[in-house]
Amino acid sequence: MNALDVKGISKSYADHKALKNVSFEVPQQSIFGLLGPNGAGKTSLIRIINRITGPDDGEILFFGENLHPEHVNHIGYLPEERGLYKKMKVGEQSLYLAQLKGLSKQEARKRLQHWFERLEIGDWWNKKVEELSKGMAQKIQFVTTVMHEPKLLILDEPFSGFDPINAAIVRKEIMRLRDEGSTVILSTHNMGSVEEICDHIALINRSELVLNGEVDEVRERFNKNEYLLKFKGNAVAFANSLWTQFELIDKHSDEDIHECIIKLGEGKTLNDLLVTIAPEVEIREVRPHIPSMNDIFIKAVQTETMEA
Amino acid sequence: MNKIGLVIQREYLSRVKKKSFIIMTLLGPLLFAGLMGVGIFAAVADSTEHKVLVVDKPGAISVYNEQLGAQVPACPDCFPERDDMLYRFTSEQLSDSAFMQSDYTMMIELYEGLYQHKNVNLYYKKIPSVMASSRVESDLESAVERAKVKQEGLIDYESYKRLKVNLAVNKVSIEKGDTFQEGRAGVGMFFAVIIFFFIFMFGAYVMRGVIEEKTSRIVEVIISSVRPIELMMGKIIGVGLVAITQVAIWVTFSLLIFFVAGLVFEAGLLNDTLALQQTGAAAPANADFETYLAQQDGISLLIEMNWPLVIGMFVIYFIGGYLIYASLFAAIGAVVDNETDTQQYMTPVMMPLFFSYLVAIMSVNNPEGLTAQVFSFIPLTSPTTMMVRVAVGSVQIWELVVSVILLFGTSYLLVWLAAKIYRTGILMYGKRPSYKELWKWMIYRS
Repeated sequence: MNALDVKGISKSYADHKALKNVSFEVPQQSIFGLLGPNGAGKTSLIRIINRITGPDDGEILFFGENLHPEHVNHIGYLPEERGLYKKMKVGEQSLYLAQLKGLSKQEARKRLQHWFERLEIGDWWNKKVEELSKGMAQKIQFVTTVMHEPKLLILDEPFSGFDPINAAIVRKEIMRLRDEGSTVILSTHNMGSVEEICDHIALINRSELVLNGEVDEVRERFNKNEYLLKFKGNAVAFANSLWTQFELIDKHSDEDIHECIIKLGEGKTLNDLLVTIAPEVEIREVRPHIPSMNDIFIKAVQTETMEA
Repeated sequence: MNKIGLVIQREYLSRVKKKSFIIMTLLGPLLFAGLMGVGIFAAVADSTEHKVLVVDKPGAISVYNEQLGAQVPACPDCFPERDDMLYRFTSEQLSDSAFMQSDYTMMIELYEGLYQHKNVNLYYKKIPSVMASSRVESDLESAVERAKVKQEGLIDYESYKRLKVNLAVNKVSIEKGDTFQEGRAGVGMFFAVIIFFFIFMFGAYVMRGVIEEKTSRIVEVIISSVRPIELMMGKIIGVGLVAITQVAIWVTFSLLIFFVAGLVFEAGLLNDTLALQQTGAAAPANADFETYLAQQDGISLLIEMNWPLVIGMFVIYFIGGYLIYASLFAAIGAVVDNETDTQQYMTPVMMPLFFSYLVAIMSVNNPEGLTAQVFSFIPLTSPTTMMVRVAVGSVQIWELVVSVILLFGTSYLLVWLAAKIYRTGILMYGKRPSYKELWKWMIYRS
């Protein structure tokens, strides 16, 4: 059973279509990257999953059940545009948000104390939010999102506003929550963190799903039989030797060391390439060139845009 | 606790714990007391020059003077010529219209058997101040006493006490015949002002609360836990309870002040009584505050009113009116990004609110006029206008029923529409929507 089945979701606003027939599955206990450029429809989709708005068409299954108002108690949501009541005290406010998620006051207090100790923010309890720095407030927001131990966590740009140290702490906590059984949907533009922690991704562009699957599998799909090659020697002789069997994709030189990306021709292997160039240059390094999530993102979005 | 309960609790507690609320709640009654003091001062002391016509048909205190060819007081000293009060006497009844056209401000009518029934009627065009009417009363009393002394011929102290006259002066407005209608309408206006003031103040609190949630960007977190309409209603109800708390504390405080003032007053009366007893006089029967108040015209009208009805309708119209305007204010808060942007949308809400205040003022002068009748049915103006009419006491039951049904029907409709605007507006930042867009939000299905 999946944590979430998104089935044929469409949503229109007065003047534009935000989502067109979007479907994908979020496996249980995964960290699922929901990617896409600004205005692609990610936030619309997240709001539908949170039951903030309803879809015009399609359905969402939450652990196999039709999404139901009670389910919001099992979802933790950290919006991209997030804030807290400025005049309220940190502790009071955290208790309020926990109770809104269905925890009793006693239970909420217990869990909050645990989390505050964990993140070493115990002495903030009686501070007003307006006295906190942005990073401090972000930590409180993160705690209030996860304290009710939701089955599904939806984090929209969770790392923005954190310094590298705190971003690392949050990253560690997200992975720990996954290991303890939570499913995490992560919406972000930070492709580095996607590569680092996501197991699955879905890419939305112009209201449509353009890509989805396991991260390794998606990258493999974009692997076009390319290799990165570093060598020393005559670059012109090297280029001539490639002839028509190999394609030079990219090249740059640093003094007498040259670095280039070679795409193998039809039916050719790495051995063929090495045999061809070995007489001409001194080979220093060879490795497969798999595109990064960043490249994939840009490529997928650009292809889409050009087709449209 | 369910979620809307939690929202109400937060909205309520976060406001009543504020210093500004506590200060306002404590200062309110003092401010009221101060205003009432000014009002009482104005009622006691006025600078109108009074010209009083005494119609003495039985000739109880006046005689016909052949030389002057006019009725003159039997005891001229009792009616000294003062700058601000002139007396004229006649034995001829004056018609109401003749009185209206004359330059007299008051007309006293004496009847046969005055010494026994001790009642006189005081007709007025404009209700005289307490000071003016008590001056008239004491002048008349001393004149009647003189007349009685003359009749008895011989006097000792015991006889003097028998002669002592306490006249009952019944004030009758020449225009309507109902002595207290204007006073009761004034009481209604008082409640109308409270309704107006609280809707204005607490409606703005609702709006500011919505703007605060929107600009601090906490709203998206909250509505991922509660439905937008629950958040909106929780806020409206929570803030409304704050208003009710404030009114309740003010009323309790004011009653307390009234009660303490009463104790002080009774202690004063008791001293007077003791002094009288020492001189051997019988204690006056009115040695308690309430009886004393009942004898004061201005206050006896308060005791005469149908308080359960007035208070009951006050609560109903307060709630209905608050719901209407607070939901409109909530919708405004939802469509703007900050308070300075509210102007454009405030006008259409503030206009009917101020208009309701103006109509209420007009109704005080003519509570049964067409204007008052029509606007006491229109839900945007009925909370204030109907309060005036209810206080006057001339409203039919069916009128109240229809007006209240219209009020709550409209508030239900407006809450529903406001919730639709609210739901969309709280997640929109940047461009302010046009009225056309707002209309689309209202008719858009969820």
